[in-house]
Amino acid sequence: MTSIREISEPSLQVVGRRIPRVDAGERVTGRAIYCADLMRPGMITGHIKRSPHAHARILAIDTSKAAALKGVLAVVTAQDFPVVAPGTIIPFGETGADAWVSALTVIARDRVLWRGHAVAAVAATDPYIAAKAVDLIEVSYEVLPALMDIETATAPDAAVMFPEHKPKGFDAANPAPRNVGGRTLIERGDTAAALATAAVIAEVHTITDTAHQGYIEPQACVAEAEATGFVTIWASTQGAFQAEIQTAVLLGLPQSQLKVIPLETGGAFGGKITVHVEPIAARLAQKCGRPVKIVTSREETFAGGSGPAAAARIAMKIAADATGKLTAIDGRYVLDSGGIPGTPTTLLMQASAAPYQCANLRLDGWEIVTNKPRTEAYRGPGGIQAAFALEQAMDEIALKLDLDPLELRRRNAAVTGSMMPIGTPFPTIAFTAIADRIAAHPCWREPLAAGHLPRGRGLAFGYWRGTSMTSAAHVTIAGDGRPMVTMGAVDISGTRTAMAQVAAEEFGLGVADVHVAMGDTKSVGYSDAAAGSRVGRTMAAAVSYACKDALDQLRARAAQRLQCPLSELAYAGGVFRAGAATISLFDLMRATLTEGAIVGRGVSTKLPLGVETAAHVCDVEVDPETGQVTILRYTAFQDVGRALNPPAVEGQIEGSVSQGIGWALTEGFDYAADGRLRNASMLDYRMPTALDLPTINCVLIETPVPDVPYGVRGVAEVPIVPVAACVGNAIRRAIGVRMTHMPMTPERIVMALRAAATEPVPARA
Amino acid sequence: MKIVVTLDVNGEPRQALADGRDTLLQLVRDQLGLTGTKEGCSNGNCGACTVLLDGEPVCACLVLAAEAQGAHVTTIEGVAVGNALHPVQAALIKFGGTQCGFCTPGVVLSAVALLDRVAVPSDADIRYAIAGNICRCTGYGKIVEAIQAVATSRQEASR
Repeated sequence: MTSIREISEPSLQVVGRRIPRVDAGERVTGRAIYCADLMRPGMITGHIKRSPHAHARILAIDTSKAAALKGVLAVVTAQDFPVVAPGTIIPFGETGADAWVSALTVIARDRVLWRGHAVAAVAATDPYIAAKAVDLIEVSYEVLPALMDIETATAPDAAVMFPEHKPKGFDAANPAPRNVGGRTLIERGDTAAALATAAVIAEVHTITDTAHQGYIEPQACVAEAEATGFVTIWASTQGAFQAEIQTAVLLGLPQSQLKVIPLETGGAFGGKITVHVEPIAARLAQKCGRPVKIVTSREETFAGGSGPAAAARIAMKIAADATGKLTAIDGRYVLDSGGIPGTPTTLLMQASAAPYQCANLRLDGWEIVTNKPRTEAYRGPGGIQAAFALEQAMDEIALKLDLDPLELRRRNAAVTGSMMPIGTPFPTIAFTAIADRIAAHPCWREPLAAGHLPRGRGLAFGYWRGTSMTSAAHVTIAGDGRPMVTMGAVDISGTRTAMAQVAAEEFGLGVADVHVAMGDTKSVGYSDAAAGSRVGRTMAAAVSYACKDALDQLRARAAQRLQCPLSELAYAGGVFRAGAATISLFDLMRATLTEGAIVGRGVSTKLPLGVETAAHVCDVEVDPETGQVTILRYTAFQDVGRALNPPAVEGQIEGSVSQGIGWALTEGFDYAADGRLRNASMLDYRMPTALDLPTINCVLIETPVPDVPYGVRGVAEVPIVPVAACVGNAIRRAIGVRMTHMPMTPERIVMALRAAATEPVPARA
Repeated sequence: MKIVVTLDVNGEPRQALADGRDTLLQLVRDQLGLTGTKEGCSNGNCGACTVLLDGEPVCACLVLAAEAQGAHVTTIEGVAVGNALHPVQAALIKFGGTQCGFCTPGVVLSAVALLDRVAVPSDADIRYAIAGNICRCTGYGKIVEAIQAVATSRQEASR
């Protein structure tokens, strides 16, 4: 909504302008094509059989009755897929990924690891036959004890889910407790000594329930196998190349025999990086020779294992001297990874300490395996959990020292050159500039008006490290001289529009004169998934390089046509000029089209780090009778580097805040002791509606990242980070109760108020 | 059991063979090829499949195909007239009210139904009208702003 930008760059003509999405017309008319919309000749329906147990050994699977049903054309189980060993590292970003995790996620082999884990699948001529066939598959299980929470899983007598797994961070002298996936320790200085001598200590223990990304489009794909063996998959994915590599390994198919074509993605937020249905559809298609479409139901999406975000328990202790200067941050983090080890803890740990300068750190992160669906990334994975602990502890320090919470944060804020938690200096970081903007903004300056119910104002900082990974693009020039950009990355957030602006800027043309498309995995260079807010910045670089490459090729042709040396040739606005002689891109391509294609190539990888910083302010009203929280006002401040297209950036921030408010107040998976998800519907898993949210105001601050084309910074992860802490701090200021269990549901607020009634804490305005 | 369903879709007479268990959503998507109507949950909670059934917004996943016998149905494909967008569609584009786009057809139909019923809806009217359409991308602000802009321009036009 309201947006204030700090800097404008007069030299840029197209980049930074507020323009509508180039693909918006397709969306508002229903013409945009998602996987479920795709029809192929002879296409049939795939359907997945899922486990009714949270933890069980598979003794036998009898598919004979299903296979005999008229209309069933193929049946698969794990026996139809090669075994993928742990440590089968496939390309992904700077670290790679383990295809063993994908294989285990897609279909259970000898054990089911969560209720809803896939065990078999069928392809049939209509969905009713497919559903009936799935019911006819008989699976015998030996039911094992379900480890449904961190305490049960780490108990000394707990069944060990992965006896062969060697968790990192432990050795023979220091053995891991049961079902620990791994441990990471970040230490600096002497935290114990700093805690012992601190003027003030704040300790907050938080619990965050499992939540879901909540994309509206379920998992979906269409797979087709040619007689030659070549397989094509149309996918709803964040990364066409990630989908291709995982599927190739899981099928035992050479990567050259597989092409993934990304279609529109109906929301993803981290949940569409790991494949879930693609290898199954592909194997079914190979077996029956017909195209197979799989679309999961909402219940399958929520309960079947397509990636909720990790639940977390965090014990956060921070210490300060009498002036509020932080002297120690001591965090212990325990993440619930769900059924497969490998949830990264380090980004969460960094997010829980990075906003502030502090000499003594002890950040101790654990991930635990339980019998819940394997968790996957969700928008700044771990960030919101981290800030929920850190920023509420900061609020406690402010209360104890009777300091203004903004002033407390400003005194401690990380600055350019100060030390990151991992021990390297911060590149440009804008917390101080953000604090200045907040101090001057009405959302902070104006006092909160009293209402008939208790009201409070909350503040929280947020940090996300950001990443680079790799993006590739190429630019060809159409016969009429117009640039045609093909991106290797999937557009899940308006990337085509932003890249049209970049290409238009590079060529000195209008946005309408360039065309940007998503490529498939056989038409453009390898690009990592659209994840971690990296695509905007790395793709802008790749497109910029590709345009420059194409212009160099055009320049050579133009020099020849205009019979001038290259050095005398100038280019601007679609026209080459040498003295008085000119030739337009149109005329140049008309004259030289038959000389062959112009293909500009651009790859960007390992761009300089651009950290993401934000701070949010909100006012809430709490009804102590019902526990209902109403958000009256919400303002998000963020350093966005450079907004390629400001409304798209605001859209990312507003959407992030919306998701954050959902998790803060109402969204949490409710698992029964037997592993059943009790709220596997959009009615019971309560995501915000238009009636639940206030207007979200955005204040964009632009601190370009040095040495990165256009200075672009990731923008879509950090705006979810501070939300729950910001709301929690506002609730604390309204009703005097520190809410430490997320979501902060009305029930939990009422219970906390009742508990506090025996030991009253004074409310503060 | 298969049944022949005869109905009017977007002003065109249509006839389709439907399974007795098929919903109106399956009818329009699978039988009539009108895939602009989306399926997000199949139990009436997300609103992505919103269509107008005799002018009223309904979740097509909660209506049996057989119940649409003789009905007038408007899907997202019938909102624009040829290439001329409905003002709600144009405003959603202008204000950035569509991101991933999966909820957008349902949002458009809910908004069109509201504007058919209420000449100049208030902010509360708008939020109530689209409360059944879950959008996970936008936070609703730019959607509400877009519909408000249509209402405002109507108000100005009527002066």
